[in-house]
Amino acid sequence: MQIVKLPKQNLDKFIKSLSKFGQIYAPIKKDANTSLFSKIEDSSQIDLGYNRTLLPPKKYLLPPIDSMFRFSAEAGYEEVEHGVDEKSILFGVHSCDIHGLRILDLVFSGRYVDNHYFTGRKNTSIIGLSCIPDDMCFCRSMGTDFVENGFDLFLSDIDQSYLVRIATSLGDDMVRASQSLFKEVGKEEIEKHKKKSNEMQKHFKTDIELYNLPEIMDLEYESKTWEEIGEKCLSCGSCSMVCPTCYCYDVFDELSLDGKTGERKTRWDSCLFEDYALVAGGTNFRSERSARVKNRYFHKHRGFVAQYGKPSCVGCGRCIQSCPAKINVVEVITKIRSDAYV
Amino acid sequence: MSKPKIGIFGMTGCAGEQIVILNCEDELMDILKLLDIRSFHTAMSKNDEKCSLDIAFVEGALVHPEEEISLKEIRKRSRLLIALGTCAVWGGVAAMKNEVSRQRLKDIVYGSPGRIFKSIPAQPLHSLVKVDFSISGCPIEKEQFLQAVASLVHGDIPVLPKYAVCTECKINENTCLLLEKSELCLGPITIAGCNARCANCGIPCSGCRGPVEEANIASEVEILEERGFTLRDIYNQLRTFAGPAEAIQTHLAKR
Ligand code: SF4
Ligand code: SF4
Ligand code: SF4
Ligand code: SF4
Repeated sequence: MQIVKLPKQNLDKFIKSLSKFGQIYAPIKKDANTSLFSKIEDSSQIDLGYNRTLLPPKKYLLPPIDSMFRFSAEAGYEEVEHGVDEKSILFGVHSCDIHGLRILDLVFSGRYVDNHYFTGRKNTSIIGLSCIPDDMCFCRSMGTDFVENGFDLFLSDIDQSYLVRIATSLGDDMVRASQSLFKEVGKEEIEKHKKKSNEMQKHFKTDIELYNLPEIMDLEYESKTWEEIGEKCLSCGSCSMVCPTCYCYDVFDELSLDGKTGERKTRWDSCLFEDYALVAGGTNFRSERSARVKNRYFHKHRGFVAQYGKPSCVGCGRCIQSCPAKINVVEVITKIRSDAYV
Repeated sequence: MSKPKIGIFGMTGCAGEQIVILNCEDELMDILKLLDIRSFHTAMSKNDEKCSLDIAFVEGALVHPEEEISLKEIRKRSRLLIALGTCAVWGGVAAMKNEVSRQRLKDIVYGSPGRIFKSIPAQPLHSLVKVDFSISGCPIEKEQFLQAVASLVHGDIPVLPKYAVCTECKINENTCLLLEKSELCLGPITIAGCNARCANCGIPCSGCRGPVEEANIASEVEILEERGFTLRDIYNQLRTFAGPAEAIQTHLAKR
């Protein structure tokens, strides 16, 4: 992979030149506590040092509420225009969130390919950005603190400059479009980057052990821990909304007042919701909250591993930050592990 | 197909739901094309008091013995009865002091004139009659009402979200007032539908839409206590809009 250097004073010009490639979305500071991805006009708006945005970038590719099609008694079904040809750039995506998008790709490219998702995906280029973990990040344990693919460019901060990894031909075009802003990487930058990488590792305060976790979880299927967290959980859904890999959605019809037409829509769902596993006839397969919390962990750290060979958690820490009941995935997994050894 | 016959009624409340319906200005003509409104005292001078109805929309709580009689009559003449608004669904603000006797409340609020009228502890409609569907809110959200009407006319029972306000609040990417600012927010146990109206403006949710079906009151109370709120403050907030709700009553009985 080709790696070049972008001096920080050139970032502004580079971002200006990027607008030729599409609308730029980047992290901004909403207020002292919250960063979020937003459309930006100007590089000065970008919050380059953010730790995690409230919602992950999935909000653009799998919108919280989306339209599938319109229907009417006379005309039948009619597809909704989604602005499919709009090119966009997600700038400043951290490694864990790129992994999150890769997980969504896996899921939506399965047996039934979700063309709507992939149309958006194909029109979205990703520019990654390095970060410094806080005490809720456990991407290192999940193997998502480094990303090999799934982006066009990746910027690693080395104080005065960024090292820019060029991963795709589109990324290469972006660099070439403002070639004069980029410099060759010298010995000094290589040393700097290695030093920064080591420093970054020292910031990790949180780890979980993944070794044979699926097996341990099978053994601990009946653990009391699930009931204990079930007692605390409020089914508020926050953890699923903020999770970069939670992809469940519900499908519903919005009917018009003419009594003849309507629209079929999707909206984010959560396996923590009381009616998530409710089916026709009134049977609810997971009416107990403890069963639903357990499902969240089993899906991410057990079922997904069986199906796709890796967990569907990227260690971003968002669910830890947003759970009112302080249910913490790292603590839950640590507890389950040590319970197994008691 | 003939238009469904509708009645819109009010028990004790602020008439907020009826005002929301009247405020559907852009949609009123469509509503009239769809529905045959037979009774709507707040808006019409000629009302049919006896005819059978396909759907009765009823707002307000029961606070007077006569309302119990009239609600039973409405129930008898209606195929479907829909509770509109938090007062009708949960008792609402009129029920916030139900633990104090009516006699005492009347004395405090009205003094001696209070003796000339009757009052019973405020109750939601379902305490007396079968309610087929509930649309809560203080007041209801116009969009939910219109969606419900559209579904009913299509012959479906409306499907409204059953999750909590937090879900909408997160989707709107609001800074969490409970976690980041330690404010008394009832979002985790309050039913969504308002699109986190208050939290969007930086104001904690006071639970005006009433609890979600499976509200974990104990956990919410524990979270708020940990953040330094007194039980008195927490209980007062819980009782402000939905005191009679079973989840809240069961919790209070335990403590
Ligand atoms: S489960 Fe939690 S830590 Fe893991 S990816 Fe989802 S939000 Fe991030
Ligand atoms: S954020 Fe916490 S309380 Fe809310 S649904 Fe998730 S685990 Fe339960
Ligand atoms: S501010 Fe209130 S409603 Fe919003 S997420 Fe926090 S607790 Fe939930
Ligand atoms: S945020 Fe809470 S108090 Fe505000 S309108 Fe919604 S339910 Fe009512």
